[in-house]
Order: sequence, then C-alpha cells, then structure tokens
Amino acid sequence: MISRPLTDQLVRDCCRELTEEVLPALADETLKLRLIMAVTVLENAAVRAAHEIAWMRSETGTAVAFAREVAAFRADERIEVALAEVEAGPHASLHLVDVVDVYERASRAFDVAVQVAHEAQAEHLIRRAADLLRARVDVERTVMAIYAVVGR
Amino acid sequence: MTDTLAAGFERFLAAAEPDRAGRVTSCEEITGGYSRISARAVVQWQDGAEEMFILRGDPPAGRGVFVSDRDAEVALLRSLQGVAPVRTPTLRGYDATGEHLGSKCMVVEAAVGATDLQTLMAQADVVTPWTDLFIDTFAALHSTPLDVLPPSMPRASDWRSYLDGVLDGYERMADRYPSAAPVLRHVSRWARGHRPPPVPLGLTHGDCQPTNVLVTPGAPPLVIDWEFAHIGDPREDLGYYTQNPLAPNVYWADPEYFLARYRAASGLSADQVNAEVVDYFLLIGMAGLLEQLFVAAQAIGHDDRPGILAPYLINAISHQHDMFLSICDRLS
Repeated sequence: MISRPLTDQLVRDCCRELTEEVLPALADETLKLRLIMAVTVLENAAVRAAHEIAWMRSETGTAVAFAREVAAFRADERIEVALAEVEAGPHASLHLVDVVDVYERASRAFDVAVQVAHEAQAEHLIRRAADLLRARVDVERTVMAIYAVVGR
Repeated sequence: MTDTLAAGFERFLAAAEPDRAGRVTSCEEITGGYSRISARAVVQWQDGAEEMFILRGDPPAGRGVFVSDRDAEVALLRSLQGVAPVRTPTLRGYDATGEHLGSKCMVVEAAVGATDLQTLMAQADVVTPWTDLFIDTFAALHSTPLDVLPPSMPRASDWRSYLDGVLDGYERMADRYPSAAPVLRHVSRWARGHRPPPVPLGLTHGDCQPTNVLVTPGAPPLVIDWEFAHIGDPREDLGYYTQNPLAPNVYWADPEYFLARYRAASGLSADQVNAEVVDYFLLIGMAGLLEQLFVAAQAIGHDDRPGILAPYLINAISHQHDMFLSICDRLS
C-alpha cells in the first residue's frame, strides 16, 4: 500500500483543487453552493480519516468504564446486557466497520447507564456523564473543521 | 430547470385562470433555501397587467433534507387569510399533484418592493424600531385564535402532554441512533426534570427569524415560510431564534429588552418568559429539525441519497449537541 501522502492530505488536496480551480469557473450560484458544501464535507472527512479510529477506541473505553461505574452504584440488568453486547463485539479488528460496531455497542451501554443515573437521581453520576458527553462533543466539534453555522 | 418550471407555470396558469392568458416573462430560482425549491416568476396577463409570484414546491422525491407537508401549509395559509393577527402570503393557486409544476407547489403573490427584516436590521443605524416590529409581529402571531386553524392540525390535549411529546421524540432518536444516544438521552431526561412554568398552547411559526418577515412601506409586515408552523409552545419560537447566526441577532443584542418587550406584547409573566426559559425552549424548538437531520444522514450512501445537504448538515447535528449540552450546564 502506498501510505504517503496520508488520506487526510489526499482529501485536502482535492479540496484545494475544487476551491481554487473549479469553484471560480462556476457561474451557476446553486452549483457554487453545492460545491462549497461538498468541500466542507471533504474537510470533515479529512479530519475523520486521520483520527476517527483512535477517537472511537478511546471513547469506547470511556463509555464502558462509565457504564461499569453506574452498575457498581446501582445494579441494573439493562447495563449488564449492554456490557455483554460490547464484550461480544469484534474487538480484534481495526477495520473501520468493526471499530464502529464496537463503538456503537459501547455507546448503547453509555446510553443505558445515563438512563439509570437519571432514574436513580444520582447527581454525581449525572454530572460525570455530562463531563464525558462534553468530551465526546468536543471531538464532534473538531470534526466540524471549516463548517460555519449559517442561517436557514 | 427554470425554463421547464416556466413552461409548467404557464400550463398551470392556463388551467387556474383560463380567461387571462398569462405568459411567464421571467422565472428564476431563489437560491439559499434549505428546504423547498423556490422561484420568482413574472407573469404578463393578456390585459397588460403584470404580476410577480413566488413558486414554492417540494424538492424531487428523495432529494432534500427538511421535509414538510405542502398540503398542510396550504391549508394553514387558507385558514389564516384575513383572520390572522399578522399578514400572511396571499395564495393564488396550488398544484396539489405536481401535474403542472413537477411536484406539489404553491403559488403566492410576491411582496413587491418588500425588504426582509433581517436586511433592514443590518442596514439600520438604530435597530430598536425593527427589533420592536419583530417582537410585536411574533407576539401577535402567537395570539392567533386556535379555532381558526385547520381542524387537521395536530394539537395536544394540554401543555404537559405537548412537552412530553417533544421529549419523547428525543428518546425515539436516542433509540434509533446509537452514537448520538447518550447525548440525546441525557438532554431529554434533564429536560423532563427542569420543566418551566406552562403557558397556553398557541400557533408557533417554527422558523422564527427576521428573514421571514417582509416589510413594505405603508403596509403591515408580511410573515412568510409557514412550513414548520404547528400548535405548540410559542416560546419555542423565541428559543429557536436565539441560535440564529445572522447579524444582528436582536435577542443577543439586549436579551432583557427583548424579553420585556415580548412579555408586554404577549401578556406573559417574568416567570414564564425569561432568559433561562428561552434557553430551555431552544431544546424544544429544535427537536423536529434535529430528527430530520438524523433521517437524512441515515440515507447517505443509499440509492435515494438526499443530496449534498445531508452530509453537510451532519455538522449541524454536532452543533446542536454542543448547544444542548451547554444549555443543560447553564440551567443546572
């Protein structure tokens, strides 16, 4: 496999070509808008390509740890089932589809743990969940790259 | 596309107003909208009169992100015509089947010489008069008697049921989309535990922003784009507007002034309308759009892909996650 340039570098090179060479040649305003959106999506993809497996692996561990923490505070069959689902996932594989599979199983365990924490009105666990969610959303914000919020 | 639309519009006019022999002299797409396909068309009638129309149609099947019901929007506009406390677009026709215009498409009279309120705000040295107009217009809209609205318009039995229904929507999204589930579940559970004081349910526009208010000198302001209108908590419109990024955002320019003006115009109390409550209603006001963003994201990669807008707006999902968590933090 030709490993360099890296995937994110390849994608960003395409973005540059589209922005500097193709966009100025377009006259149709609708097509221009679509191209700008497409470049934004490619920039998102470049960030993901460089980091997403590492990020999902890290967040999987955090989510499972939180689910175990909640289960230790209040035993709940829903958490046990969700954690068993995580265990059964394809952990050995680094293929993206498998990493996503495990990540989604862990996210479901996290989700169930959040439910249990709220049902138990366990303020310290709710606060901890909020902190962990903030870290997840900070990653999402990083992926947003050049996206700028515009009005509808 | 516009040549095809112009030809279709002439066929539509021949069927709708056969005695007037309308000829479409120009037809241009209005770019920038996220949801509907819009075009501005000029018609020359046989008697020499000229009129401008806005054509507002559904995107082709499988295209677009935001879905709304054109039949419902038309029924609402018809019900509001002449009886609403605010001026609404004059509906001149509706291609309910897409027979002439390619998809369900409404035809409304264009507001000739009008400027949208956002533009007026941006150009003003003193923005307060436009701020007042914006607030008063939406407060008036919110006072629309519910009995004039179409019977087919969904309405909850009471305020609590309505709010629970919206929060149930977040739970449904959490059930369907695992990677977003922890955020959505946390937000919905938090929101159930922090309900603000109730207000009477009312007509809620669903896309409350100054660009949807058109101002013509000497005429009452015209409120457009009713596709997301529903019977809900009017404070959703206030919460929704707070996230509007177009400058100036007159809520953030002076929140206390904005809120006091709205309270005075609506008759609601400081317990019912304050900065914390408006923050809360951003969560409620964005729920429907968020669900549509998720649905569109799921369609990416399939044959019926919704177009480039869907992957682009995955960013909007992340942006909403960020806003929602911040609201929970601020109000906890």
